[in-house]
Amino acid sequence: MSSVKRVVVAAVCAALGIVLPMAFHAVPGAGNAWLPMHLPVMICGLVAGPAAGAATGLLAPVLSSLLTGMPAAPMLPSMTCELVVYGLVSGLLSSRVRTGRLTLDLYVSLVGAMVCGRVVGGLLQALIFSAGSYSLAAWAAGYLLTGLPGIVLQLAVVVPVAVALERAGLVEPRYPQR
Amino acid sequence: MRSSVGYVWVDSPLHRAPAAAKLVGLLVAVALVVLASSPVELALAAFGVAALVAASRVGWRAALRSLWGLRWFLLVVLCMNALFFSASDPLLSLGPVRLTLAGAAQGARIVARTALVVVLGTLLTATTRPQQLTSGVRDLLRPLARLGVPTEAAALAVGVTVQFVPTLLRESRQLMRAQALRCGPASSGGIMRRAVSYVRLLVPVFVSAFRRADELSVAMEARGYRIDGRPGRPGGENRP
Repeated sequence: MSSVKRVVVAAVCAALGIVLPMAFHAVPGAGNAWLPMHLPVMICGLVAGPAAGAATGLLAPVLSSLLTGMPAAPMLPSMTCELVVYGLVSGLLSSRVRTGRLTLDLYVSLVGAMVCGRVVGGLLQALIFSAGSYSLAAWAAGYLLTGLPGIVLQLAVVVPVAVALERAGLVEPRYPQR
Repeated sequence: MRSSVGYVWVDSPLHRAPAAAKLVGLLVAVALVVLASSPVELALAAFGVAALVAASRVGWRAALRSLWGLRWFLLVVLCMNALFFSASDPLLSLGPVRLTLAGAAQGARIVARTALVVVLGTLLTATTRPQQLTSGVRDLLRPLARLGVPTEAAALAVGVTVQFVPTLLRESRQLMRAQALRCGPASSGGIMRRAVSYVRLLVPVFVSAFRRADELSVAMEARGYRIDGRPGRPGGENRP
């Protein structure tokens, strides 16, 4: 993928990171539960690499906060760090994991990114953003329980979208000889 | 999802102001709104935002349109705060739910701040074209280029992101309507049914967005655009 296309893909995914939460917030409570901003960040990391994924993770929440007020300013730093980790790790794993099966590669990379992002998000909350008032129970409630529909959605959507993009010839194939 | 962010073609002092100045102004204004906590401070902030809307000449309807798309979100925030924020001096109590004045005030504060930030963001995109925004970001980031920060790529990414928001919003709305007509609304049913509905909806949304990204990058490279600013070879690097 050329550097220009990588930047444009990161930007378009960031735009989706603004648009999808607007769509989900039309349904009461859907934004917090379904975590729509995570989807384009992870997809960008998987198909365009760690730098593009991290850039999307940075741009989407910051521009969304400035343009739409979501996420609210107090939540912005922690959410941005978490999303950057999702984009970075999904891209790093995607570029290194080669099992010979496209879907398995993508699921390994996706699950790795989901785990790393949640762990780093929790650590940042405990050490910086909510230092002294954060517990393992709060982490489990915030990242696992409230976001359970979001986890299901990420597992259900991200890999099919990445596969569809490859089949449509819009991203580089992982195994071009096939 | 009726909100929209897009340039409004009128002439006003805000339209003529440099994009870099508007970006800095937006950051300062957002910081002031976030710091405002008392009713008087919030009223002053609202007055300032209203003055900016009047000065921009984009019209109240255009300036406030984005808020309509967030009405349920803002309502939920207000209700959640009013019912769960505090347990002391409840006006109404029903199990774990306690309606309190302090909670309602906290909810109103958050809703007011969010609404003001949304209007400020709408004003920026309504008075600044994407190309101007890209130039503004490039101007603001220029000092960081000496530290090795890829400012050209950052400016391009911000410009393309802002430019694509209204287009993708429109397309997503059309796809959501088509999906609702075929299979019912994606927001109904249990968690698994909704997840399947979202897959059916999101795959075409992403494929369409990536197709647009592909077309744009091909067009840019065909015109010799390079990220490092040097003129490139028409036809660009290897695709895709």
